[in-house]
Amino acid sequence: MKQAGIVIEMEHGRVKETSLGMITLAGRTTESLTALVMDGITDEVTDQLAAHGVHTIVDLVLPEAPEIRQNPAVRAAAVVQAVRDRGLDHVLGLSSPEGKDLLPRVAALLDAPLVMDCVDVDLEKGLAETSQYSGKVMAKIQLTGETQVFGVRPNAVPPEPKPVKADVVAMTGDKAVPETITLVSWDDGDAEGRQSLVEADIIIAGGRGLKNRDNFSLIFECAQKLNAVPGASRVAVDEGWVPYALQVGQTGEKVSPQVYIACGISGSIQHFAGMKTAKMIIAVNRDENAAIMANCDYQVQGDLFDILPELIRQL
Amino acid sequence: MRIYVCVKHVPDSAANIHIVDHLKIDESVPFLLNPYDEHAVTEAVALKQQMPDSEIIAVCLGKKGAESTLRSALAMGADRGLLVETDAVCDSMATARALHAAILKDGSPDIIFTGKESIDSEGMQTQFRIGALFGFPVATNAASLDLTAGKAVVTCELAGGRTRTFELTLPCVIGAGRGLNTPIYPTFPDVVKSRKKPITTLALSELNVSAAPGSAKIVAMTPLVQKRTPRKITGAPSEQAAEIIRILKQEAKVLS
Amino acid sequence: MTKKYDAIIIGAGVIGTPIAYELCKMGYKTLNVDKLPDAGEGSTAGSCAIVRAHYSTEDGVALAYEGFKYWLDWENYLDNVTDEKGLAKYMNTGSILIKSDGHDWRKVQKHYDAVGVKYEEWDVDTVKKHVPPIDMHKFWPVRRPEDPKFYDEPTEMLEGAIFCPEGGYVNDPALSAHNIMRAAEAKGGEFMFNAEVVDIRSENGKVKGITLKDGTQIDADIVVNVGGPHSFKVNQMAEGVWEGCNIKTKALRHEVMYCPSPEGYDYLNDGYHMSDGDIGCYERPEVGNMFLIGSEDPECDPQEWVDPDEFYAGKGGPGRDNVLTDAQWKAQCYRLGKRIPSLKVPNQPKGVVDLYDVSDDWIPIYDKSDLPGFYMAIGTSGNQYKNAPVVGRMMAELIDACEKGLDHDKEPFQYEFKYTTRTLNVGFFSRKREINYDSSFSVNG
Repeated sequence: MKQAGIVIEMEHGRVKETSLGMITLAGRTTESLTALVMDGITDEVTDQLAAHGVHTIVDLVLPEAPEIRQNPAVRAAAVVQAVRDRGLDHVLGLSSPEGKDLLPRVAALLDAPLVMDCVDVDLEKGLAETSQYSGKVMAKIQLTGETQVFGVRPNAVPPEPKPVKADVVAMTGDKAVPETITLVSWDDGDAEGRQSLVEADIIIAGGRGLKNRDNFSLIFECAQKLNAVPGASRVAVDEGWVPYALQVGQTGEKVSPQVYIACGISGSIQHFAGMKTAKMIIAVNRDENAAIMANCDYQVQGDLFDILPELIRQL
Repeated sequence: MRIYVCVKHVPDSAANIHIVDHLKIDESVPFLLNPYDEHAVTEAVALKQQMPDSEIIAVCLGKKGAESTLRSALAMGADRGLLVETDAVCDSMATARALHAAILKDGSPDIIFTGKESIDSEGMQTQFRIGALFGFPVATNAASLDLTAGKAVVTCELAGGRTRTFELTLPCVIGAGRGLNTPIYPTFPDVVKSRKKPITTLALSELNVSAAPGSAKIVAMTPLVQKRTPRKITGAPSEQAAEIIRILKQEAKVLS
Repeated sequence: MTKKYDAIIIGAGVIGTPIAYELCKMGYKTLNVDKLPDAGEGSTAGSCAIVRAHYSTEDGVALAYEGFKYWLDWENYLDNVTDEKGLAKYMNTGSILIKSDGHDWRKVQKHYDAVGVKYEEWDVDTVKKHVPPIDMHKFWPVRRPEDPKFYDEPTEMLEGAIFCPEGGYVNDPALSAHNIMRAAEAKGGEFMFNAEVVDIRSENGKVKGITLKDGTQIDADIVVNVGGPHSFKVNQMAEGVWEGCNIKTKALRHEVMYCPSPEGYDYLNDGYHMSDGDIGCYERPEVGNMFLIGSEDPECDPQEWVDPDEFYAGKGGPGRDNVLTDAQWKAQCYRLGKRIPSLKVPNQPKGVVDLYDVSDDWIPIYDKSDLPGFYMAIGTSGNQYKNAPVVGRMMAELIDACEKGLDHDKEPFQYEFKYTTRTLNVGFFSRKREINYDSSFSVNG
């Protein structure tokens, strides 16, 4: 039977929901699931993984020093070692910001095929589905090769419980630490930006309708109340109201949250390229003829300067 | 320094994409330099300004028509172009092998730039494969680059304002992100000058690239259209806000 | 069905809205129907909205000069109506017409003298003083970048330019149509959107009304075709109308490019509208300190005549759909790059693709038709935006005169300008005319 190794991402000592969803996705086409954990295993983590169908949990036991532990080249080498030691046929990880700097390293080291940002995978057949051409096309890709790597889009599927018994294995021994690339420092950004756009469940984004930089505080405040991540259209970035990191769209981040709340965003083709895979789109706009109003699930016609403060008040 | 910049010839992001035979796109749309590669070329030109005896070689794997993308790179300031010509569809593994072989045949790189991803296949991996084939370290989504004392200090963007800074030994591979610089826009005199710059074409078959041990091949393509049927949320702003909250809780189940 | 409306106007762009406005002021009950969701969203939105006086015919110059007066007095023209979207703004930049082999500028100058258009003659040094980054070499003839001769070093200099201090552009063309709609509504005009006309019904040799795609029939004794790029399709729906036109219209695809102004040049605030036949381009400032670059239809450029419905649906394929082409992007940007050598050309095309409603001689048809009660304001050929308010008034008066018994084909209606003292023979714009070879056969009209 094919063995799938799943690279687990953690947050606050717990397995991320998006990682659990990936386990559910992998479990649809393979029975044998191995979790690869790099950030320490607790009983809670074991319980979480076992509750979602993981039979084997491998603790990669990385060095404690954060500049080594967090170095993606070190992490990639450890994953590759686990793949070889455990004889894994598939590697799955999230197409998260960290995953985009980790999975391609793993694939390159293994000289194995990789598809990033998969919305669906079939491990039995070696198939992946991913969007291409700025979200205009869905491509089904056949992978061949001894080992195959898949980057799974966060929130591609929600986690489903599947309780099993899990064994924990520690992979001790020296870890390869490359000398050619060292992590010298990192910046966690401001607290508001800590959750990444691509992993967010809820995104509340603002556009031209916000009119200026100061008004954008409404979006930030709403985001905080909703535990959502703030986003922006290109106009808001071009005007200098918010940094580029918040931009959703063709030339910004491509997101597929559960809910995308677009405030004062007209909905250009370029913006849609970044968010049209959202499960639900709620559009708040004064102009009922704005393109986004015809291509959303809920249209809230009205003045965002009336509606957002109400939302903040009621939350 | 010998600086190589890998560029890709991709459909204009604004193009209407039509699918042929449920398998590939209609390639009669305009093709251009991949937007992230503009940042790669721009960074190479900035390095050359610091170290004027550098040479910038733009390398592209693609069909004959990809020459226009190399011309764009030359107009932006690359010194010469190298087209590895093939009509075959190449996945990232094959592309990296071809680019590696072409660069190796051409000379010895001190630094290799790529875009962090291409906007057509969105693979995000060719830079890492090139790095692995050469044995060079790789940093991706670079937002700043500093070459000092034979090392590259690269700050890479993660998301939400988070960054990581790496020190890489040279030679290395850098995947350029949008934050790295403002792309050079050539003037007409730049375009005229670049017409005299040489582009060498070699057939992929001439490179004798060995086959990769795996592949990723598109077996089906469908246009992505999501039909949504908008429902109106009406009433006073307070009622509209209350309804949004109800939907988030009861329908989307994202609020408790 | 009882007749609710005196006149139905097909189209709510910048020509359709002022016709409604003026008819309303004359007491007609009007309804504009448009297949799009709002006023000015069609080819009006894609217009460069240039306001300039130079035309190849004296009547063309006179009409444009009359039109200025409306833009200068916009609030008053709209009878101080309020529009929740704000008012469009006329930006007076002054207008430079480069003296070149690409324009019959001597004829234009003669018309300026005849009409009384204010202008100055600038020599090369004066042009350079006003437009510091300009290179006044002669690049004629216009070529395409695919042609190796495109890159030949120029040797001769141009002789100068004709400068009109009056001239510029309207900052938001779609908004200007929206403004006029609000003004028309204030006078009782009605507007129906997302309503596509599929048939023009007639009875006993007279127009009877329209039928919409959803089957709705609306009757009126007067129907006016202001369908823009769809005008030929609308004419074909009405009995005998298309056949009765000696001058026909069709939809031409056109690309307009945006390039950032060179560093150190505040084109947005210090720049002029320029019409440059030597390179086959016209330019005006655009928000973001951009050059907006249009084409003056040089002979070497291909012309793509398209089906407007396919075009707007993004069908028809590259070069025939609504996406910029790399070839035309380079052609127009590099042409201007010769004139402004410090102009930086983005690697990714930025701009607008839309349609002109072009007549056989690039002069519009403002006329009745062979079907009594059916009128047309079509064939605007990319050069009538600036005339829209005058045309609205002229068409309203023409319609009123015809409805009161004038045989316009025999005794052409004479339109008296309101601001400049002049009478225009509206027969100049007749559908029955022979092709006017005085025309530039380009966007210059």
